[in-house]
Amino acid sequence: MKFKKIAKILLSCVMAGALFAGCGGGDKPAPKADDANKTGGKIQLGMIAHLNATEQKMDEIFAQIEESEKVPLTKYTVKFYDSLNLMQMGIESGSVDEISVYDSVAKYIVANNEKYEFVNDKELKVFNDNFCFAVRKDDAQLKADLDKAIEEMKADGSLDKLVKEYITDVDKDKVPPAVELPMTEGAQSIKVGVTGDLPPLDYVNADGKPAGFNTALLAEVAKRSGKNIEIVDIDSGARAAALSSGKIDVIFWAIVPNGDKMPRDIDKPEGVELTTPYFKDDVEHLKLKK
Amino acid sequence: MEFLELLNKIFLKDGGWLTILNGLWVTVQISALSLLLGTLFGALLCFLRVGNFKPLKVAAQIYISIIRGSPVLMLLMLLFYGVFARTGISPLLVAVITFSMHTGAHVAELLRSALMALDKGQVEAARTLGFSKFQAFKLVTLPQLVKIAKPVYQSTVVNLIQWTSVVGYVTITDLTRVINNIASRTMQPMITITGGMIIYLAISYLVYGIFNLTERRRKVSA
Repeated sequence: MKFKKIAKILLSCVMAGALFAGCGGGDKPAPKADDANKTGGKIQLGMIAHLNATEQKMDEIFAQIEESEKVPLTKYTVKFYDSLNLMQMGIESGSVDEISVYDSVAKYIVANNEKYEFVNDKELKVFNDNFCFAVRKDDAQLKADLDKAIEEMKADGSLDKLVKEYITDVDKDKVPPAVELPMTEGAQSIKVGVTGDLPPLDYVNADGKPAGFNTALLAEVAKRSGKNIEIVDIDSGARAAALSSGKIDVIFWAIVPNGDKMPRDIDKPEGVELTTPYFKDDVEHLKLKK
Repeated sequence: MEFLELLNKIFLKDGGWLTILNGLWVTVQISALSLLLGTLFGALLCFLRVGNFKPLKVAAQIYISIIRGSPVLMLLMLLFYGVFARTGISPLLVAVITFSMHTGAHVAELLRSALMALDKGQVEAARTLGFSKFQAFKLVTLPQLVKIAKPVYQSTVVNLIQWTSVVGYVTITDLTRVINNIASRTMQPMITITGGMIIYLAISYLVYGIFNLTERRRKVSA
């Protein structure tokens, strides 16, 4: 009886191991080229789902852009993932061939996981998106304050300094520490939702503290606007609900296209205002090394 | 040894294990409190459900069918971002309320099914022998009820622990959330999530072990 039990457990362990090794896909020569041929030469592309725009709407927009910009976007079949994590699992298990991420994020992935490499596709360089805060529509004062702080930082170059310090000049092994947010007694306090989902902009350190470019930016904004900022760690799927219910006042990395190729408000949910962009980034594609 | 280094980087380095333990503690807290309150609430619900007072009986029936027929995440979102949105009570408390409500409905049903499995004649016999209603329940019904309900209750406990993995949606940093954060930071989702799964598996087996222990003790005493 005992032996039977042990044998069963061992067998299930082996099966689980085999399953995960298969998913890792590291040493398995996946017949990707053949797959691409089978699907009519289309490349399976993973993207992070938008805050608001539906998949159909995104498809329409892609078709439009292809028409106007002559960028062959329809060679991709796009699959949307809820978060970067899931998208990574998607490419590692072979359900997509390439993933679309921002330049800074792509560099972070390549630096931290040697399985990935860049797809050098110059045509994609035409896209760049802006990152901004999103606040509720009735919070006009807050939007004005944030806009003012961002404009000030842009003007005196401290925004560029932060970008350098936290995004472009980061060593692979030296993670910048989490920034202490200044607290002023009696000042107005706002809650900002971070997801920990988009390094190096937004991630949670090993000690459990939110860190990255976004928190550094927040500290600067807090200093300039004289507000107390409280960071709330929240699942990215619940950001919109949290904002509209008033549980948090600001959400991060709402993404806005530059406005020349895609309409600026493609992803703007109802009842939400977006601030001045604080960061601009190109789109890059990553694939697994063969 | 590269793999070990990777594991070290993911799970241990810079106090990462402490963060995981903190997340685990949050998960355990929510589960334990919800289990306690949910079981009490479930017993009450079951009492109403099998009782003779019609309006309460129907109310309990409706409550149980609604809760059992809907995902707990929806209830959690509804309570946190809707009902309790303006009250400012802590997310942890909302989570405990939600999971207690959810567990209550399940416990009520499992108790009712255990009750139905019992032989009615035994209680009647006890009553004719002069036992009071309470004595008959305590001496005849309860010991058998516990015995029948235990295996199902055990899986309800394990289910509850796994359900709590959605609390990241209401700004709570539990074990799942910690694991997701680590996966994003280290860019190694496969290994990290497998690790998280093993931790959940360990908790489940711990629960099974505790139940087994009580079983063995009863056998010894009998």
